[in-house]
Amino acid sequence: MTPVGRVAPRPSRTSRTFRAALRLLPSTFAATDARELAHIYDALDAEARRTRGWPGGALALARELPGLVHLVAREHAAAWRARRVRRVQLRRIASYQRPYSEDTSMIESLLQDVRYAARALRKNASFAAIAVATLALGIGANAAIFSVVNGVLLRPLAVRDPDRVVTVMSYAATQPPSVYGSSPANFMDLRRETRAVSQFAAFSTSLATVVGAGEPESFQAVTTVGDIFGVLGVRPLFGRTLTPNDDSPEAAPAVVLSHETWQRLYGEDRSVIGRTVTVNRKPRVIVGVMPPGFRFAAAPADLWMPEQWSSEYAANRDQYYLQIIARLRPGATVERFSAELETVATRLRTDHAEYNTDLHLRATSLQETIVSAVRPRLLMLMGAVAFLLLITCVNLANLTFARASSRHGEFAVRRALGAARGRVVRQLLTESVLLATAGGLVGIAVGAGLLRAIIAAERASLPRVDEITLDPVALGFTAMVSLLAGVAVGLLPAMRASTARSMEVIRQGTRGSGAHQRARSALVVVELAVALMLLSGAGLLLRSFGRLLAVNTGFETERLLTMQMSVGGKSTQAVEQSLERLRAIPGVRSAAVTSQLPVTGRGGGAWFNIVDRPTPPNETPPSEAYRVVSPNYFATVGIRLVRGRFLTPDDRVDHGPAVVVNEALAKKYWPGQDPIGKQIMLGAPGNYLNPASPIVGVVGDTPDGGLDNPPIPTVFMPMRVAPWWPVFTYVIRTSGPPEAVTPAVRRELRAAFSTVAIRNVQTMESVLHDSVAPARLSMRLVGAFAIVALVTAALGVFGVLSFVVAQRTRELGIRMALGAAPGDVRRMVIAYGGKLATAGLVIGLLGSFAVTRLISRLLFGVAPTDPLTFASVSAILLGIGVLASWIPARRATRIDPIAALRSD
Amino acid sequence: MSESRHPEAGVPLSAQVFQILLSLLDGDMHGYALIQDIRRRTDDEIVLTASTLYAAVKRLLGVGWIEEVEPEEPPPGHDERRRYYRMTALGRAAARAEAQRLQRLTDMARDKRLLGPLVTTPQPKGSR
Repeated sequence: MTPVGRVAPRPSRTSRTFRAALRLLPSTFAATDARELAHIYDALDAEARRTRGWPGGALALARELPGLVHLVAREHAAAWRARRVRRVQLRRIASYQRPYSEDTSMIESLLQDVRYAARALRKNASFAAIAVATLALGIGANAAIFSVVNGVLLRPLAVRDPDRVVTVMSYAATQPPSVYGSSPANFMDLRRETRAVSQFAAFSTSLATVVGAGEPESFQAVTTVGDIFGVLGVRPLFGRTLTPNDDSPEAAPAVVLSHETWQRLYGEDRSVIGRTVTVNRKPRVIVGVMPPGFRFAAAPADLWMPEQWSSEYAANRDQYYLQIIARLRPGATVERFSAELETVATRLRTDHAEYNTDLHLRATSLQETIVSAVRPRLLMLMGAVAFLLLITCVNLANLTFARASSRHGEFAVRRALGAARGRVVRQLLTESVLLATAGGLVGIAVGAGLLRAIIAAERASLPRVDEITLDPVALGFTAMVSLLAGVAVGLLPAMRASTARSMEVIRQGTRGSGAHQRARSALVVVELAVALMLLSGAGLLLRSFGRLLAVNTGFETERLLTMQMSVGGKSTQAVEQSLERLRAIPGVRSAAVTSQLPVTGRGGGAWFNIVDRPTPPNETPPSEAYRVVSPNYFATVGIRLVRGRFLTPDDRVDHGPAVVVNEALAKKYWPGQDPIGKQIMLGAPGNYLNPASPIVGVVGDTPDGGLDNPPIPTVFMPMRVAPWWPVFTYVIRTSGPPEAVTPAVRRELRAAFSTVAIRNVQTMESVLHDSVAPARLSMRLVGAFAIVALVTAALGVFGVLSFVVAQRTRELGIRMALGAAPGDVRRMVIAYGGKLATAGLVIGLLGSFAVTRLISRLLFGVAPTDPLTFASVSAILLGIGVLASWIPARRATRIDPIAALRSD
Repeated sequence: MSESRHPEAGVPLSAQVFQILLSLLDGDMHGYALIQDIRRRTDDEIVLTASTLYAAVKRLLGVGWIEEVEPEEPPPGHDERRRYYRMTALGRAAARAEAQRLQRLTDMARDKRLLGPLVTTPQPKGSR
């Protein structure tokens, strides 16, 4: 820009500074204006210099500054205001026109839809937040529970042709169906005489102490007979698996390690093949390592080793402990194999009647065997979560419906501007998809968190728990269902809006119709009904859990430390000495051992023989549970003496053995009589566990089959009568917190047994806590679902009543103008809310009675129709209904009659 | 724009605006000439800078009290960047309204004998 004219032939330094400062003006400032400004300044500058030289120029610039700053600020403010006005105008134009210009490409218009939908949702952030939050909860909870169900119940086992792998179940008339525990000889007979399976194997599990590289460690061992890896159809990572040849007593004792065991003991050293480890004091050669993904779903398994029966032991028929597992031949069916099993069982019932009275066998798939116990609970959770999804869908439908109706006017304007009907509908669809996507994304986080919590809580009680992963199919499916619900219901008002005569709707404004109110009320009633059903389920589970915790355990659970140790091969004396060491620890009041902790299961079992009541020949005696304990076990744990006396150190094989029984056993065999002095023997003829021993005492029952099960008849054998028992749990009664003495106890036990490993160090309270973990988790999950459902339903009631109040503002205004008291108006609105809640209550109660029946198996001490539970949840629902009506009701009383009449 | 076009609306006018309007009573003027004229007439009492002049001019253009004009015949030394301004009828009315307001105020002061009677007071320099 060359200066023209004579005023300023060349801009001075100060002029240039001024020009630079002008660049601070906003870009909207016209260039011509800036030029004029500069020109005037140049003239002023030149004049000042002419009169006063360069200080004059500086002075002129200094004088110029305040005005310039003011100008710059002013111009920026004006530019910002202008921009905002323009933006608003553009948006307004865009919202009516842009999505409907027909000359745009598919993708472009789709992007427009998405952008517009995002904007529309942002504009109504509370709607979007509620919709996304409930969707995320519904989707996340469903995905988590379905992932559990899928991983545990549905997904095939990680073996070759999983549907061909079967186990054998026992269906004795006197006992519930259970996994058949076979004797070695029965196993041999069944293997020889069945044709429907190609591989036939058996296994048992135990705790094994492994001394390999360093400290002795405890592992879950699977002892096998037959080609168990052939049955499973799995290959080793390297080395080989066990084969039937390993079963020969002459073969070198072999062991196969799981991937985790291998890593833990040897790092990732592949040269372990051929190396020797000591398992339960027996050297074994490592022959193979299994791949990392392999899980022996039937039982926890860190290592596998063959039984290697002697021919004598292979003929044994009184040791019942083998689980059979077999692979069906191609073409063979479970039914055919079952028939073959029953044929063999029939023969065994006659040929070896004394061992096999009432032997009835049938085959089931391995998967069924593993998961059948947890199925009712998982299906109940699945049902609960499905209800949650239902309520989520209804809620979304309700929200979409409300929104679509309040946008009648908008749709009509668009139609008037020439938008195709399909385009309006598509717009709504896009919004729903966007919501579902957002809900799905948040739902993934919710689901992952919930799943982590479930797995952590269920680690001990759920089979296949390490096979559970968050299921993308479940996530997608639930998101799809919620989405479809939202779309389906949102479409109705959209269609209506898009067909309505535009001007009418525009004139009508945002007031909705009566049909709208009825539809939304119906949806809310559904929400309330479903919420009540979840609530009654949660209530029943809560009551049931309360009953469970209130069960009298029959012993003192506090300040009791427990830990498990495999002492196989050590003398009874060594165990007794270790107990002496423990008692010497300060803070330890008493120490004892038991073969099985109370409340943790039946433990060992054996045939129960009463010497003066012999079992008729050709009949199998009943089987009863037994526990091997140190004499002071009862005093240590706090089990009460009912009659007779406790065991003493003098009750031993060589010095007059004695046993103690619990009340359940006394009642079963000597109802109304005194069992003291009766002689009993456990085991089979020729293989008794104990010499004939008198019952010297009767002790109180403990709920050993779990708090929700009746006590199990049990015989307590003193350790000195059963010196062969290999694994004991130490129970240590402390005077202070049990945790305080744990290090000292570990130290003393390690000093007493340098080559055995300690595991499962737990307080008795934590053992009990774990034993009710599944019930607790079920209760918490269903409870949480119920709360979400209740809140959602309350929001629904609130929404509908707010809508009703808004819609009837004029009517309410007239009523108030005619003298209705605010109390009357409030009562009217609350009564409507009460009506909704009552309708939901009635439907929900009917539904609950139908549904809670299905979970009766999961309840303990509470009937599925427990009146107290139903009364409480009904009260809660009605209360929530009235509470949710309160705010709209108050709003109704504040209606200004004049304003109401003046408004449209 | 929020500023009203009504002559009475801006009353009282800022000293700068009033002076610009007074200067333009003599005829069309460009920006620099306005600054010089005002300074001369007010004896350096009111000295506009480029920015303050510009801001005031813009406001006056906005309310329609002045307008931009092409000089009828480019005077000697005309510069393309110069813009000439002319007072509109509206501007004249506004200036008059302001003058009357000021007169009312001085009348009141006179009534209270704050000022002497309006008889032989010499005309202020530069005004008519």
